[in-house]
Amino acid sequence: MVALLVGMCPGLDEGLLRSLRAADIRTVEDLVSSDIEDLAQKCSVSYKALFAVRRVLLAQHTAFPVSGADLYEELLSSTAILSTGNPSLDKLLDSGLYTGEITELTGGPGSGKSQVCFGVAVHIAYHLKQSVIYIDTTGGLTAGRLLQMLQTETNNRDEQMEALQRIHTFRLFDVCALLDCLYGLICGRGRGACVGGGSVKALIVDSVSAVIAPLLGGKQNEGMSLMRQVAAALKTMAKDFSVAVLVTNHVTRSGSGEAQPGLGVSWSHVPTTRILLERVESGASGRRSATLIKSSRQACLIKEDFDLQWWSRAEGGRGGGGGGETSGKRKLDETDP
Amino acid sequence: MSESGTQLLARLEARRCLKDIEPQLFADDGGPDRGKTELLYHLLCRCVLPEAAGGLEVDVVFVDTDYSLDVFRLASVLDSRLSADGSAGSDDAVLRSCLSRLLVVRCSSSSELLLTLHFLETTLSSRPKAALLLIDSISAFYWSDRSEGGASVAKQEEKLSRCSELLGRLLRDYRITIFATCHPIRRTSSGPPSSSSEADRSHLCRAWQRLVTHRLVCSKQEAEHNPANGDQGSGEQRNRQVFTVHCSSWTGTKGSRVSSFRVTDGGVEFVWTHRPPPGLSVVL
Repeated sequence: MVALLVGMCPGLDEGLLRSLRAADIRTVEDLVSSDIEDLAQKCSVSYKALFAVRRVLLAQHTAFPVSGADLYEELLSSTAILSTGNPSLDKLLDSGLYTGEITELTGGPGSGKSQVCFGVAVHIAYHLKQSVIYIDTTGGLTAGRLLQMLQTETNNRDEQMEALQRIHTFRLFDVCALLDCLYGLICGRGRGACVGGGSVKALIVDSVSAVIAPLLGGKQNEGMSLMRQVAAALKTMAKDFSVAVLVTNHVTRSGSGEAQPGLGVSWSHVPTTRILLERVESGASGRRSATLIKSSRQACLIKEDFDLQWWSRAEGGRGGGGGGETSGKRKLDETDP
Repeated sequence: MSESGTQLLARLEARRCLKDIEPQLFADDGGPDRGKTELLYHLLCRCVLPEAAGGLEVDVVFVDTDYSLDVFRLASVLDSRLSADGSAGSDDAVLRSCLSRLLVVRCSSSSELLLTLHFLETTLSSRPKAALLLIDSISAFYWSDRSEGGASVAKQEEKLSRCSELLGRLLRDYRITIFATCHPIRRTSSGPPSSSSEADRSHLCRAWQRLVTHRLVCSKQEAEHNPANGDQGSGEQRNRQVFTVHCSSWTGTKGSRVSSFRVTDGGVEFVWTHRPPPGLSVVL
């Protein structure tokens, strides 16, 4: 509810405000919903003046309607697809992370969600040369691991540092700090990183369920409302600033025993694309399987196996590999001195 | 031309002119990923496509409350409908003229929604061709309203009841059709929807429930397995998720109808229509 204040619009002066308050009209919504003729009589002001005030307030506070064609044009020019660096994941995501959308990775502990996030951040910072914002809520992010991944891409110290500088990290552990950080990024008061600048193309939140899940359940409503605020902030970033958002989530067991993403039904419509990561029972330690469980572009339930060590593949074929990946590994090995 | 699995599409077909449209308010319920958005796009396309391609050529206002409008998906559905028709091919100009009949408004809070609906009154009167209002979704601010309202239920539901009253007025004065989607708050067990969907009673305020005249409940059916047709050399089975829509209405005579649809690249494709038993008279 937006309260009526003096000077909000031309024509809304002290006198008018006082008479409106006397008639029990305190907010913009009250003014707009009431009958203007009736109100003009009660407050003894001219109908025309009141109508003009109503029109200005309405124009100030409503959302601006956009034609579908204009929206389409705008999206065509601003949408980009960011490759994750792993061809199997790219295949699942229909060639990569789309800006303007929220992609979710869910999986149990140890299923590789954070590793995938690191790999994506490094790939975007080094190969695509775009800034990445990484919000860590679990404490699992270490610069050492990012550097390790970068060292397999290039041996040039300057290039490594340059890529690391493009990854802006935030470490927070509760939902209010997360909301503060997100709103700060939207308004541009963050530490040097501002989404409005245009060079930030990806936002990774690992993990969003760690800060929201403890608030859900029981009789409190605040948890759901905070979850909704986080969802709205992420969507605003994605759509208004053309950023690809990647979030991670935990899993719970459904009634029939299968794994399903956490945070319940109310969160399920927030991400546009959802991928479930699982360990592969047989096979090497780095193998994971990814299943597409929600997508607007591809048929669901496509499964792809991939290697977590893809992003650090020049480290050698320790335990990983098998299948088509070896050729990729060998190629990179040759370029190492 | 899609088989009108639900007669409401046949209804819409009959009403082109604003004056002739009987005011109806449809609420589209269903769990996540149950095809509700696809149904909305299907209706949208049906309305904005030119008459040559089987559309109604009316203006549509889309109120987006949770940033869920996927313009690319909409454009691809329109494109496939236009090219399936064969007449214009994939003509860019035709696509853009269809899209220009769509007006998108994004709201980020329930007060903004209320004020925007007031604003839409003037828009509707200046655009006589606007015949359809789509709201996706009306339940988006449920939790924010609840926490803002504090302990009093009346305060929690205040904004939504005001929106409902306003929508009721728009229905009467401008004689438009309104479709709204609603996300459930509990995970419902997947199973055939019962004919008396008391368990699925809407969790929104009473003013809204009174306004709704038809309710479409979407749910997922067991995935069908289509054998590989040979067009995919790998022999992979493409699972096509089949959704059922259970439409119940309570204006005039009560009735209900069940249909199934499948989501394809070209949008929604109705599979079969289940005729209700002869005892019930079908409304719509």
